[in-house]
Amino acid sequence: MIGPEKLNILLVDDNDIDIAVNTKLLKLAELTDNIYAFSSGRQFIEFLETNATGLQKKFNVVLMDIMMPGMNGFECLDQVKALPEELKNSIYAFMLTSSIDRSDIIKAEQSGMVRHVLEKPLDVYLIKKFLREILQKSQENE
Amino acid sequence: MHTTTMSAHPISVLYLDDEEQNLTSFRALLRRDFNVYTAQTPAEAVNVLNQEKVHVIFSDQKMPELSGVEFFELIQPDFPDAIRILLTGYADIDAVIDAINNGQVYRYLTKPWDEKELKISIENSYDLYSSREQVKNKQVELEKACDELEKFVYSASHDLRAPLLSIKGIIKLAHQENDAKKYPEYLDMINTSVNRLDTFVQGVIKYYQNGINASQSAEVCFKTLLDELIGSLRFVPGGERLKFTTEVYQNRPFMVDELRLRIILSNLLSNAIKFSDPAKPDAAVSVSVWVKEKSCVIHVADNGIGIAEEDQQRVFGMFFKSASSNRGTGIGLYIAREAVKKLNGSIALHSTPGIGTTFSIEIPEGK
Repeated sequence: MIGPEKLNILLVDDNDIDIAVNTKLLKLAELTDNIYAFSSGRQFIEFLETNATGLQKKFNVVLMDIMMPGMNGFECLDQVKALPEELKNSIYAFMLTSSIDRSDIIKAEQSGMVRHVLEKPLDVYLIKKFLREILQKSQENE
Repeated sequence: MHTTTMSAHPISVLYLDDEEQNLTSFRALLRRDFNVYTAQTPAEAVNVLNQEKVHVIFSDQKMPELSGVEFFELIQPDFPDAIRILLTGYADIDAVIDAINNGQVYRYLTKPWDEKELKISIENSYDLYSSREQVKNKQVELEKACDELEKFVYSASHDLRAPLLSIKGIIKLAHQENDAKKYPEYLDMINTSVNRLDTFVQGVIKYYQNGINASQSAEVCFKTLLDELIGSLRFVPGGERLKFTTEVYQNRPFMVDELRLRIILSNLLSNAIKFSDPAKPDAAVSVSVWVKEKSCVIHVADNGIGIAEEDQQRVFGMFFKSASSNRGTGIGLYIAREAVKKLNGSIALHSTPGIGTTFSIEIPEGK
């Protein structure tokens, strides 16, 4: 498993209750203490830009809500694509949604940034499984 | 050669014939009842079609450059809507039958024409043109409705499920933690989610009611209506901290569809509550109504957070939510605008971020 010190989990969701619940669920799973929450895509992008050097050394798992006012989840990932290569490669994005729509799956495939589209509420076991896969891939690449 | 008569006849007719004499008598015969254009060559005719909206095209069949049927075939792709009538001097009936069967020609008339028959054929053609136009407009409307429905289903499935799944998450968390001390906090969160779902469902119900009910006017006393609406809003979360003031200038009963008026006012008032500025201790909403001779003018003004300039055009859209706040369901103002539309009224807003928003509505008196 990726060590807690090497792992950041970033939640992006306009729903305050989902942020609170998902943060608690992730904390219970003891994956990492580095859990960051953002109520809009804009806040998230600003955070990435200002903390790029620290972030790019770690695994940044992003749990992104799709339907958000202003910038939606996919538009937000489009902005991530424009970030420097090193930072971009440290990001592992998952979409979280209250209802998986076919059109969202297609958008996720087209985006090229999305690993999976997951239905709420957050399933921590799935996240753990994905973390193992990510680690395995990165070790193979080394 | 063609004449550009600027008459106000609703029906425009073009006649193509290489014989000038025919064109002259056609014009003389019809100019009082129709908007008549004439052309002696296909090029002139196309010129007219490019400049004017023509409903009915007559063409002579026997012409030196092109036959009438060939001319109709030529213009079909660019001017598919005009109704085409062929005028034949003698019996080249095979060509005419082909043209009619191929759908290029609506009707044929033989020369010399019968005055009555000519006029009737123009009127019939125009009827056909209009009904096709209506069908086309209906199709556009249907496509728009379909688009909105699709958008509605997408958003509704998300907005309906979101609070439920929040609750599911809370329950999951409570199970995992198994710590009874935290239950009150979780019950509060569940309560918030339930309220969000209820607000959304109520919004959908209001939208539905606005869509189905035929307009029914009744005498309305604005003072009574506003007192009642504001009274019930005081119990809405956030409503208790707002100061409501009303000002009504009404010296006679006003006829209006009361249900829709209620929909409009309650949506604007709850909007003012939702987007009130928590930083202002003197949060307030003022409603003014002025009953004029044939309409009423209503202003709903708040000192809330205001609407960013780039959002002001979009707030009336379906499922629009402002980036700066997650308090709305994205349906209230849409419903308000739809209801105003049904009453043939108008709605506008003036807003300064940080200062507040004023909605202005004018509704014509109903019968």
